[in-house]
Amino acid sequence: MTLLLIASLFLPLFPLSVVLNGALTKLNHPAARGALLLVWPQLGIGLLQIAPHAMPPYFVPWALLTSGLYALRLLTVRDMGRWAGFLATSSLTLTWALAAGGDIVELHLFAFWFSLPPALMALLVHPLTRRFGAAYAGLQGGLIGHLPRLSAVLAVTALAAVATPPFPGFFALLRVLHALDWAGAVTVLAIWLIWGWAATKLLQGFIFGTDRTAPGTDIGRASTLAFTGVASLFVAAGLYLTGGGL
Amino acid sequence: MDKLIVLLPATPLLSALLITLLADRARRRIARLSVGFSVLTFVLAAAALALYLVEGQPQWASFGPGWGSLYLDPLTSVMSLMVAGISLVVHVYSVRYMAEEPGYGRFYILLDLMAAAILLMVAAGDLVTLLVAWHLIGVLLYFLLGHDAARPAAQRYAFWTFLTYRLGDLPLVLAAVLLYESYGTAALPTLFERISAAPDAHAVAGFPVLGVVALLVALAAFARSAQFPLHTWLPYTMEGPTPVSALMHAGIVNAGGFIINRFAPLFVHAGSVLHLVFAVGLVTAILGSILMLTQNDIKKSLGYSTMGQMGFMFVECGVGAFSLAIYHLIAHGLFKGTLFLGAGGVIGNARKHDGVPHDDIYTFVVERRPLAPRLPWILAAVITVVVPFLVLGASRWLMGGDSVGEQGGIILLFFGWVTGAQLLFATYRLRVDSPWRLMAMIILSLVIVVAGYTLIEHGFDLFLYPDRELSERIYAAASIPLATFEVLVMILTAAIVVGWLATYYAAANGRAHHGDASPLRIAFYSLISREFYVADVYAWLTQATLSLSRRLNVWSRWM
Repeated sequence: MTLLLIASLFLPLFPLSVVLNGALTKLNHPAARGALLLVWPQLGIGLLQIAPHAMPPYFVPWALLTSGLYALRLLTVRDMGRWAGFLATSSLTLTWALAAGGDIVELHLFAFWFSLPPALMALLVHPLTRRFGAAYAGLQGGLIGHLPRLSAVLAVTALAAVATPPFPGFFALLRVLHALDWAGAVTVLAIWLIWGWAATKLLQGFIFGTDRTAPGTDIGRASTLAFTGVASLFVAAGLYLTGGGL
Repeated sequence: MDKLIVLLPATPLLSALLITLLADRARRRIARLSVGFSVLTFVLAAAALALYLVEGQPQWASFGPGWGSLYLDPLTSVMSLMVAGISLVVHVYSVRYMAEEPGYGRFYILLDLMAAAILLMVAAGDLVTLLVAWHLIGVLLYFLLGHDAARPAAQRYAFWTFLTYRLGDLPLVLAAVLLYESYGTAALPTLFERISAAPDAHAVAGFPVLGVVALLVALAAFARSAQFPLHTWLPYTMEGPTPVSALMHAGIVNAGGFIINRFAPLFVHAGSVLHLVFAVGLVTAILGSILMLTQNDIKKSLGYSTMGQMGFMFVECGVGAFSLAIYHLIAHGLFKGTLFLGAGGVIGNARKHDGVPHDDIYTFVVERRPLAPRLPWILAAVITVVVPFLVLGASRWLMGGDSVGEQGGIILLFFGWVTGAQLLFATYRLRVDSPWRLMAMIILSLVIVVAGYTLIEHGFDLFLYPDRELSERIYAAASIPLATFEVLVMILTAAIVVGWLATYYAAANGRAHHGDASPLRIAFYSLISREFYVADVYAWLTQATLSLSRRLNVWSRWM
């Protein structure tokens, strides 16, 4: 049981989720944040693997409540770094829904599908902060006019983060729906709806709206290609490894 | 044939990729490239239809173990041609219309991606591919409607549309999961075979799984096709660029009718869901038409007209006339696309000439012309009530003795009767020198339209549903007990006859123009002008959710 509780620190269940989100706030370097988001849930799954006891049945409702709570909080978070952390918390907790029946490789992959996009978002905080002093939705607005490449990368990453097809999060979510009962599946779908709502709010705060900034330099071709390459590989890996989710 | 099905969605996708790579090139070259690929897509769609007509057998091609398959059947071939045609027209129209707008290349990329997503949806051969395409359409539409990034209204209504679409995605996802769990396959042809073999083999929460799934599919269709009360986004999508409005009203909004047809074998086992579809469609058609009549903005009026038409499409599905719904959506798509693309010209002309006919007093006093005669009102009323009924009844009878007996056919006959009577009433009210001649010409036009419509619809039905047994079982599922139906028919007939007689009497005696507005009428008008407060309720719910989110963030700011 102790190992399961420690695992719930890494596959963050409320209120233990405070540790992950606190650590993300404390870390200044975007690469460190990204790395933390990638590694943290994998540690939790490693602990699940060695846990001697079966998962108690109340863990799944607990996970769904945590996921719903962070999804709701996501709606009014404007700082992109925190947004990425909250979304990661909301999505990674769904790993518990698969933990009872899923094999360990599937769990590792599930966590990866939902931690890579928030990690990329954490990286994108850097170019925004460098140009505007903060990555804060609604502060700048209208980036699509002057910074089309950064806007495109931001939009694609946000869509990947909220499990939009053809990104693997969507297929992984279908797998979760499979594993849950009727009420659990409806709850997950409601959470998914809120993620989509939060993503549009974030995008409207950054890439749409009246442009209130002086023209700046866009991200370079190399960075754009690197992001595009990662996103393409992510989609290809998802299509190959998830098998469509159903 | 397999390659052809793949090329249909792949061609616009390739166009989008090429434009992305050539983003720095001149606008004209981008447009030329995109339009060229659209022409190619249209040719491929036409070839797919032709090949289907030659071979006559549906084709299913799979590209992965669990999903990623395409299906070419009559529904796919017809819908692909329609989508490719409307997409081509919109592409050509946008070349000049969007020329002065920022983000020209981005617009064409999104337009091509949208065409690819719609074609993938209509050709999807399994549940997952269908879900992917269905969902992508909502996402792409969000970016297309919000193309003008600087307009807050465009962003607001793009968001409304996205959220409604996402809401409609949820039941379809749930339906797909339930179907897969129950029948163990995602491939549509296999799934439908297994459903036919064992329709009542599975249950969920004590209900037959097919009934639940049919309800979920219907809910997804309601959101996608703006059925009441999920209609609020539709009239406001005019804030997007006009070509996007045309594409949406002519193509995307019809997806509800398509999805119901795609899952037709399910609805055979869910008659009560078809009754719900009928009721929702009827309410939507009535409210959409009422709201359309009260608009003073031509594009918003067209938006509500689309809502009404979508309502009629669902009424057709609800009575079991699935193929008629597809014919309707194609006909509506073509005429509504034309109206949208021509709306700018109409507005320009109206600024010069308002086109409003002068009333009788103006003609008599100012123009000093005698009033032209009208037909005697009682005679006109009899013609109005009897002629459309005879024309429609005869056309249904000519198409086959059985079809006139189907309840669905009779209900649609009623709709046609009311519409035809409306046309004759409008003719009666015109002041012309030879009213008899005009009335004869209108009746002749009515006969030609009804005969043509009935013939095409009959052919369409045979093409889309070659399995006649399936078509008849859908009609049977949509039927209600005969005694109830006959009572309803008698009540409706009496209401229509008495209603038209009263309308003619009021028009002939000038009652329609006199009298103060009653408080009830003013209250009704207020209700309509606020669009039944549905949008206000949604706005309140949205604000309440955001307020809850803010409070949660304040309370738990330390975690």
